[in-house]
Amino acid sequence: MLLNDLTQALGRLNLAKVAPGEYHKSGCHLEVEAAPAQMPEVARVMLEQGCFLESLTAVDFPEHFTLVYHFNHFRELCRTVVHARVPKEAAAPTISHIYPGANWYEREVYDLFGLTFAGHPDLRRILLPFEADFHPLRKKFAPSETPADA
Amino acid sequence: MLERGLEEKYYVLNLGPQHPSTHGVLRVELQMEGEFIVKADPDIGYGHRGHEHMAENRTYLQFLPNLGRVDYLHALAYNQCYCMAVEKLLELKVPERAEFIRVITCELNRIASHLLWIGAYLLDLGAFTPFLYCFDDRENILDLLDRVTGSRLTYCYYRFGGVPRDVDDDFLAGCKAFARRLRSRYRDYENLVNKNVIFLERTKGIGIITPEQCVQYGLTGPMVRGSGIPYDIRKCEPYSVYPLFDFEIPVGSTGDVYDRYMVRYREMEQSLRIIEQAVDRIPAGPIMAEKVPKRIKPAPGEVYVAVEAARGEFGIFLVSQGETAPYRLKLRVPSFGNLSILPEIAVDTLVADLVAILGSIDVVVPEIDR
Repeated sequence: MLLNDLTQALGRLNLAKVAPGEYHKSGCHLEVEAAPAQMPEVARVMLEQGCFLESLTAVDFPEHFTLVYHFNHFRELCRTVVHARVPKEAAAPTISHIYPGANWYEREVYDLFGLTFAGHPDLRRILLPFEADFHPLRKKFAPSETPADA
Repeated sequence: MLERGLEEKYYVLNLGPQHPSTHGVLRVELQMEGEFIVKADPDIGYGHRGHEHMAENRTYLQFLPNLGRVDYLHALAYNQCYCMAVEKLLELKVPERAEFIRVITCELNRIASHLLWIGAYLLDLGAFTPFLYCFDDRENILDLLDRVTGSRLTYCYYRFGGVPRDVDDDFLAGCKAFARRLRSRYRDYENLVNKNVIFLERTKGIGIITPEQCVQYGLTGPMVRGSGIPYDIRKCEPYSVYPLFDFEIPVGSTGDVYDRYMVRYREMEQSLRIIEQAVDRIPAGPIMAEKVPKRIKPAPGEVYVAVEAARGEFGIFLVSQGETAPYRLKLRVPSFGNLSILPEIAVDTLVADLVAILGSIDVVVPEIDR
């Protein structure tokens, strides 16, 4: 079973948390917490198991950013959510060399949150204009601060 | 002056932002050697409206109409996903009749989306007639949905806990009549399109996507099913009342543009089967859950909910901190992931083929830009 395989394979990586999730509540079968530096290893394990990257996003908390990765599998339903806390102003390593699809997701997180990914081949803005000087999904961002309104 | 990443020896061509084949404001910066593409770089974001930011700044209910404007072609699936996410946080149970109504209307909307795609896609390839047939059929769906939802395109019909207005017998009879009508048109579509030599020549063997690439790029929907992987959330992660119905997941074999066309074409028949079964078996009863709170204020928690939209997996990742607005709401849109493979499959193709490939991805640009 995929859930067991994933638990075992991730268990070897010395992560902060690898535990079954409450699927009926959170929609995830496996919950994982990792340090940002461990993400390439985690991604490599997920790819070996045939999982695809379903979504990658961030949440802006007062003390830190949390990167949230969702992985799923085409043949067997097993959604894995990985949380990685990134201190403000720190960079997280990219996983775009493992999952090429992460390239755009990481650009989006950079664009909206200003969180940088070390080793990303092409970290440009993706949704906002290239010359924008703000990151709209940061909690301290207020829409009235945008240059357009000034 | 050359922008970054552009090489002087190549001819640079901007496809878009106002190009008929991009179906919205999308620019693809092409570097070409002769007529062959060396590098393709999609530039998105022209229609960025900040939906995710808006979600954090209004109540749960106030955000509901936004969902119909993320992907305006399959708006009801997006309505449904958001309602499901909030219902999951609130632990609301939707009455069965409401679930049936959701499934019927959502599948009608899916057929409308596929019909529009087929018409517009063939227009890209230079065939004008099928477009008129598709829009003629699609008009019937719009009239049906107009009756129950009150709008023709940007639907906002589902509510947390059910649907606000019941459907009548005329609507249900109309669904059956539409199924008969669309089936009677298959012969026309097959003669006009599926057996058309020009169409086959232009779509077979180009834009091939392997199953490995599907995993690497996280493709979903007809993109992944065209490559032979039967990944459809309605079957793989059943939601609503889909498990009650008998339907199949059409898949392709080679993963080329033609396979993706055939997957969408055959999906319409499966949606019709679902609609007919649902119309036959729709139970009587309430259409709204009891005890839906007036003020939506879910307990703190995180939830990820996914539905199968016409273009692939639409997911919502919602973080609640017990406030009247979400703390974070991420819209995982299928076209974003699906388009991100374009730079890889566009290399070494002709510009004319790129139009066929880009169209086969079935992008809805406002959905990518959010």
